[in-house]
Amino acid sequence: MSDLTPTQRTEILERHLRAHGHLDPDDVDAAIAAAESASGDDASPALGARVVARAWADPGFRARLVADPVTALSEYLALTVPIAVLADTPTLHHVIVCTLCSCYPSELLGEPPRWYKSFEYRSRVVREPRAVLAEFGMEIDPDVELRVHDSTAEQRYLVLPVRPRGTEGWDEERLAALVTRNCMIGTGRPLTP
Amino acid sequence: MGGARLGESPSFETLRLLRRDDLAVDGVHDLGGMHGFGPLTIETDEPLFHEPWEGRVWRIRRAVIGRSTTIDRVRSTIEQMPPAQYLGASYYERWLWALERLATEQRLVESADPPPVVELPSPEIPTWTGRFQPGEHVRVRNPVTSGHTRVPRYLRRHVGRVERVAFAWPNPGESAENNAYGQPELVYTVAFSAAGLFGPGADHTLTADIGETDLEEP
Repeated sequence: MSDLTPTQRTEILERHLRAHGHLDPDDVDAAIAAAESASGDDASPALGARVVARAWADPGFRARLVADPVTALSEYLALTVPIAVLADTPTLHHVIVCTLCSCYPSELLGEPPRWYKSFEYRSRVVREPRAVLAEFGMEIDPDVELRVHDSTAEQRYLVLPVRPRGTEGWDEERLAALVTRNCMIGTGRPLTP
Repeated sequence: MGGARLGESPSFETLRLLRRDDLAVDGVHDLGGMHGFGPLTIETDEPLFHEPWEGRVWRIRRAVIGRSTTIDRVRSTIEQMPPAQYLGASYYERWLWALERLATEQRLVESADPPPVVELPSPEIPTWTGRFQPGEHVRVRNPVTSGHTRVPRYLRRHVGRVERVAFAWPNPGESAENNAYGQPELVYTVAFSAAGLFGPGADHTLTADIGETDLEEP
């Protein structure tokens, strides 16, 4: 079977599952289409960005989000795994990884980018995070404490970045437009106004 | 290229015969801290799926296989991939490899009977106290288990500091072996000095979430 392409192997697996009533092809097509056009209400970086923007704008929500994320996030989605929210400060920066596979806060950010799942990221970021972050164009000041979180259990992590300067008085929608996927992983910073 | 006919299908019977009952522990998947992989490839405007079959694998995993298997059973299946093959495969190729085996194991390719749906644990905060308290030092056990484990090699035998009791969750080795979630155990977030793990050149802190059975007094 090593001669078959992944496309052929997927087709064969799908055909077997369909033949025994375990898979509805229309459901597969619809689910792919829905995931590809995920909006802010679905699991996608847009949902994570809304949560981060609200935490920036609403100190009460921020406190609840950091202290008890599962409850604080329950108005957005029902989480089936625990999640921890890692709040950055001007002197503390968090980065997340899963060295053993590719665990990722998919409930909030959708599917991970390919680099997150790569052998390069998984092997290197625990050993030399500053070098890895430099490849994303990020300089981390030597005075800033750097914490790398390996997602070795079912708990997922979301980085809550520092709110950019010059955004005083902005509403959540405007703030959310500054929140990038990578800044919620720790490999980027929010956009600046 | 035409679509593959059923007559050309991989032999699911062969997959069944080749199935390993031992769950690999020290596999090539355990990549943390390894040297030699080089710079990252960072794509801009990356599509969700790079090939149409990837989306189909993604959906089969979520809608079919994922319902009747523990995540630990899925992971331990991927981890049985021979090392050279694992390193030569993409993320979705590794998933496809595991799904072929899990579909066989679950008899989904030969029977219309739906396999039992696995009942999920709850992400609630535990109410009981454990053997270790925040602030205490703990040592990561080695060997950690005879089956599937989520303790990376680069942390084994190292001493860290308990940051907090993070949550409670069934033991991954048992969930992989039994394909069912049992009683939860406490999982601790433990912090390690990277200098202690990787040498004085490293100045960061590393944390990992480790179950109580994989920790001992330092």
